[in-house]
Amino acid sequence: MEREIELRLVARLKAGEAAAFETAYDAFRPRLYSFLVRMSCRRDVAEDLLEETWLRLVARARDLDDDTCLGAWLFTVARNLFTSWCRHRAVDEERIADLTPAWPAAVAGETPFEAAARTETERRLEVALARLPLHDREVMLLVGVEGFTPSEAAALLGLSPEAVRKRLQRARERLAVAMYEEGAPSQAKAG
Amino acid sequence: MRETWDSFEAGLRGLHTHDADPGRVERIRARCLAALALERQRERARRSRFTAWRIWLEPAVACGLSALYLVAAFSSSLALLR
Repeated sequence: MEREIELRLVARLKAGEAAAFETAYDAFRPRLYSFLVRMSCRRDVAEDLLEETWLRLVARARDLDDDTCLGAWLFTVARNLFTSWCRHRAVDEERIADLTPAWPAAVAGETPFEAAARTETERRLEVALARLPLHDREVMLLVGVEGFTPSEAAALLGLSPEAVRKRLQRARERLAVAMYEEGAPSQAKAG
Repeated sequence: MRETWDSFEAGLRGLHTHDADPGRVERIRARCLAALALERQRERARRSRFTAWRIWLEPAVACGLSALYLVAAFSSSLALLR
């Protein structure tokens, strides 16, 4: 979303406009949900946290600063809610399997081979992401998937940009290892 | 490693965007819109309460401050005369 449009949206949200809420909801909901479902590896938890995130926006819309970066604000709230949830419940690694129904159907226009290759790569990436430790996963999701810059991610996570860059570097290495491990057994079987 | 980091990065950017169950999406929307309407109603009530207070309070504060000023001026004049 362009910055100017975002600022106008923030002003309208502060005024309590329902249409502004609908615009923000439709623009950011899938990204927030994807972030939450990849962080928690659970659809039910992601939906609960998504709901809470939007309710927080509604409750605090009037107090937003005029120059609020709405995307970063929403991701910060979602991330903080997820952190609170983690404090109450340990994330069970076995629930990675719950992601399976979330994988997409084939895109129209693709050959069956392309669709299979894309789906296989995506599956490996999703599983590798889910295997990363939480701190690495969140930085990888924010920078790698959502496209925040390391500085924006640093502000969002309450860290220094240098710390985020280090964490990102470590996450990349771990992701590469996880991707390799995820691909290795099937390739060994095929060979 | 079989893949380079660039291919991973492209894969990450191209990952499918998930969405919540459509029923849940609509329930959240409805709940938030209801909360927004309630918040607007509360804000209107807050504003009207504040307006009522201002109607009563502003003249009272102005009168009080004027009286204090007059008393202070009068006592200073008396002190000068003595």
